[in-house]
Amino acid sequence: MALLEAHGVTVSYGGLHANDQVDLECEKGTLVGLIGPNGAGKTTFIDGITGFTPIAAGRVTFDGQDLEGLTPDRRAHLGMSRTFQSLELFEDLTVRDNLFAAAERPKWHSFLRDIIQPGANERQYVTQVEWAMELLDLADHADALPADISHGQRKLVGVARTLAARPRLVLLDEPAAGLDTAESQHLGQQMRGLLDEDISVFLIDHDMGLVLSVCDYIYVLDFGRIIASGTPTEVRNDPIVIQAYLGEEAGEAQARDAEAVRGLTRDGGSSDG
Amino acid sequence: MSEIFFFLLLGLGMGSLYAMLGAGLVVVYKGSGVINFAHGALAMYGMFTFDTAWNRGEFYFPWRDFLPSHDVNIPVRITLASDGSWPMVPSIILALVVAAVLGLAVHFLVFKPLRNAAPLGKVVASLGVALYLSSVALLNFGNAFPIPKSIVPSDPIHNFLGLGRTYPSNTLWAIGFAVVMGLGVWCLYRFTTFGLATRAAAGNEKGAVLLGYSPQFLAAVNWVIASVLATAMAIVVGPLQGPITPMGLTALIVPALAAALIGGLRSIPIAVAGGFALGAVRTLLDIKKQDWFDGPLLWLQDGISQSVPLLVIVAVLFLRGHSLPIRGSVEEKRLPLSPQPTRMLQHAAVWIVMVALLANFWQNAGLRTVFAGALQTTLVFSIIMLSMVVLTGYIGQISLAQMSLCGMAAFMMSRMMADGLPRGSNLVPVGGPNFPWPLAALVGVIVAVLVGLLLGLPALRIRGVQLAVVTIAAAIAIQSIYLENDELTKLRAGVPAFIKTPTLVGIDIGARSGRFQNERPAFAIFLVVVLALVAYAVSNIRRTGTGRRFLAVRANERAAAAAGINVARTKLLAFGISAAIAGIGGVMLAFKQVEVSSANFPYLASLAVLAFAYLAGITSVNGGIVGGFLVAGALIPVGGNYLLSDANLEAYAVLFGGLGLVVTAIIHPSGIAPFFAGAWRVMGNWVCRMTPGAVTLRDGYGGQRRRELSVVLLAMWVGAALFVYNATFIEPMHWRIPLTMLLLWIATVIAATSGRYGPFSPNFAGARDEWASWFRRYGAWAGVGYVLGWLIWPLRVDTYSKLYMPLLGAGLALFAQMLYMQTRSGEPHDEALTDAEAHADELEFEEVD
Ligand SMILES: Nc1ncnc2c1ncn2[C@@H]1O[C@H](COP(=O)(O)OP(=O)(O)OP(=O)(O)O)[C@@H](O)[C@H]1O
Ligand SMILES: [Mg+2]
Repeated sequence: MALLEAHGVTVSYGGLHANDQVDLECEKGTLVGLIGPNGAGKTTFIDGITGFTPIAAGRVTFDGQDLEGLTPDRRAHLGMSRTFQSLELFEDLTVRDNLFAAAERPKWHSFLRDIIQPGANERQYVTQVEWAMELLDLADHADALPADISHGQRKLVGVARTLAARPRLVLLDEPAAGLDTAESQHLGQQMRGLLDEDISVFLIDHDMGLVLSVCDYIYVLDFGRIIASGTPTEVRNDPIVIQAYLGEEAGEAQARDAEAVRGLTRDGGSSDG
Repeated sequence: MSEIFFFLLLGLGMGSLYAMLGAGLVVVYKGSGVINFAHGALAMYGMFTFDTAWNRGEFYFPWRDFLPSHDVNIPVRITLASDGSWPMVPSIILALVVAAVLGLAVHFLVFKPLRNAAPLGKVVASLGVALYLSSVALLNFGNAFPIPKSIVPSDPIHNFLGLGRTYPSNTLWAIGFAVVMGLGVWCLYRFTTFGLATRAAAGNEKGAVLLGYSPQFLAAVNWVIASVLATAMAIVVGPLQGPITPMGLTALIVPALAAALIGGLRSIPIAVAGGFALGAVRTLLDIKKQDWFDGPLLWLQDGISQSVPLLVIVAVLFLRGHSLPIRGSVEEKRLPLSPQPTRMLQHAAVWIVMVALLANFWQNAGLRTVFAGALQTTLVFSIIMLSMVVLTGYIGQISLAQMSLCGMAAFMMSRMMADGLPRGSNLVPVGGPNFPWPLAALVGVIVAVLVGLLLGLPALRIRGVQLAVVTIAAAIAIQSIYLENDELTKLRAGVPAFIKTPTLVGIDIGARSGRFQNERPAFAIFLVVVLALVAYAVSNIRRTGTGRRFLAVRANERAAAAAGINVARTKLLAFGISAAIAGIGGVMLAFKQVEVSSANFPYLASLAVLAFAYLAGITSVNGGIVGGFLVAGALIPVGGNYLLSDANLEAYAVLFGGLGLVVTAIIHPSGIAPFFAGAWRVMGNWVCRMTPGAVTLRDGYGGQRRRELSVVLLAMWVGAALFVYNATFIEPMHWRIPLTMLLLWIATVIAATSGRYGPFSPNFAGARDEWASWFRRYGAWAGVGYVLGWLIWPLRVDTYSKLYMPLLGAGLALFAQMLYMQTRSGEPHDEALTDAEAHADELEFEEVD
């Protein structure tokens, strides 16, 4: 059974079906991509499965557990954590504290220990927070406030925050938007690296080069419906996708770029592992 | 049945006032997106203006001249008619003009500058206005509260509508006025372009611009309309309400808010109807409560009618909390950052020692004994303020019921201590389990926590300003259902609850001495230890996961939920912790008061607590503690009073609080606590530079040698202090002088070791250059302040004042300069105070090991 399974997920805003009968699976240890034009309903899909927006119809399971009726924080506790397209960092906390806030799993009485023995509760989370910061090269900015670092780094803080809890699946909503090509390639490598850490990845992005090069499997969404799915090669050659989304020539060009990038990334990935 | 109908009709009179105030709230909300907690206060000021003009022939400006000096006086009072009565019509016009001017002033001076502030900033600013107006009214109009005369015919109508009862005709007039004015306003918004533009602006300010109106102009006009309506209605309805008191009229905000919320903050007709209904139901309950709330419901009899607005508000917010309009403003500012506390144990140790010394010093010290009491008040309120730091500073929730929680704890503790014997001024024995004080206090705190959690429940669905609305209504409900309820407290009306003296292993740690003065050092030490523990706990919360989750929720609830934080539970935890701290504060206040009554915990005090906490810096532990110094009866007002004994500054504490709150909200939302930290550092610099050789010593040596430096500084300072405080100042000289010396020594050491220091100055030339640069930077300000202080020194008839008034003036001027620099730099949370500070950063002074 796949780690994340969505069957017939439908989300409607007023009359609009932002997601319409979406079926999607995310296997353990894979990097699954979701692409689609602006307004296709990609963010809505993440919102739906993470509990931020109600699902009108359909069923979502995570590791075999039905998610219906669970609040977003319960879902995060199950091991599913997400980023936001608009970042939504904790602006009042330093980068390190942003990560700690997401990493800790308090019990109802943790506050007593916090008051009496400050620092005791967080000890067990230090390694995973440090790991997430190292992974995304944020260690130098650990004590900075999110407002004081660059936009690219803010993006990385968002990703690091989801990783700090050591989830089993991370859902990344356009993590590469606003990054330059080199940065987003680097991010792609880091995402592949996560798979070795037993963290599966679900990626939304507009950067076709990135998506086609790093994903194992890709879904294409348009007007709330899945119009195609398959391996990067299949999707790239799928005439419906090319027509609906990439546009003929753009598609060709993107595909060629992607091929080149893919070669690079794979090399990088293997030397890492 | 017809009787009930009649009482409902009777209640429409009060209802018409609620209706107009509610409509005014809607109007202001539409016009400027502010929920105006000062609306009752605006109506109140207009009402008083009318009444004093008509019945006393006097007019008071809405301010005070707090320094009644000899030469220059700010005009406060104008005599309109020497025979003590001005005609009615001009009086009404005057009152309405004052209302309009106040509305404009509030808009242009307060809310226009705040238009992009965080919602909390707007709430506290409107609370500031309410506090300001109600305390100015209390000072100007005195506290002999008049029962106003009716301006409309008030002869009774017999057998009204065939119901067989007599109906006052002024009620009919009031209803008529309210209906007509309500209709008028409704038409204004329905059918004119002005109304259209206002409605457009309420959704999005750009909408109004498209219609050719400036949003600020619209807002100003709406403020005027609201203020004038409120005043007009208060004048008509005034006589129905009994004696007019600043507090009572200001408190009308609660039913008015209920009415406005019934109208969804959007619809004027529904708000008007809601106001009428509320008035009708309340009056009915007031009249019939004796019959309806008897037997098992007897305990509800006293509070029921006062609690109706709370019930309505909670119901409305729960049902439609999400659909209330939220104004799309250009950009919202956030609450200031919450700094990480550091070196808490050192601070706590220093504080405890200081308080112990001061408390001993001020015990039985003649005129200065008031400081001993002020010290106790300060410490108690510092504890209470810390509860606001957790709730508002850390997690961004607003509570206007903190003092009510204190009251719950205090009353509950008193009850748990009671043993069925008559005590204190309560000659009617109150039965109780006779618990020892720690247990009784614990019960009190637990009850406060339970009530606090209950208060927190609405926070799960609503936030920000709406929560302020619920909690202010809850404060009034708690007051009338519990604190003033003889049935529950078992106290006869007006009799305070008695608190037994606490003891610790047989030692008396009570507050009052044998001569009934709040001067016992043991209690001050008890307080400061409790304060230190609470401050330590609050600091630890900030530094650990609990605080991170609080701040995460404050910053972004969605992201917090995505990060696995249970937002609801986190908020409730904050409410619980905050209520526990408030409960501890309430218990300590009870010990200080020895007898507590509901008058110790009025709802306005909760506003003042929020005000002073915000003023001092609600996001930090320091801010909470500093806030405790500012409340009425605490060290700063009492000290001010002592320095300017003619001016009676203490009576102005709330006035200054309100004013300061508005100013802080506008120019410096992180409060004044950072200035204290800054001043502390600057003082460290000064101490060092003023002391020959100190800089050399400090920079040349560490460890043991640095401690020697402290001794040198000690000698210098004690010498200077002895010069100023000549020996006659301290009565039992033989052991108080060493105490003073010790005190100064500690102050010096703290200053010398906690400051950041300036550049190395090994020689006289270097020192001279430093002084020269100091004068260039601060000289002018300090000089002006010095001269001003010198000019007003005769206010205090005392030989010392010649010396310290100019110094005080110079100090205040430097403080003002810091404020100015900080505002101008535009970075509210910028820690670097002046450029001198920036230089100082390079030479960080390591801590003494
Ligand atoms: N809260 C909401 N209320 C109403 N409509 C919404 C809401 N959120 C999204 N929509 C609509 O649903 C559709 C899908 O939006 P969504 O944000 O999921 O698209 P997206 O694929 O993430 O686009 P983008 O690439 O721009 O991020 C859009 O038409 C959008 O306008
Ligand atoms: Mg999106």
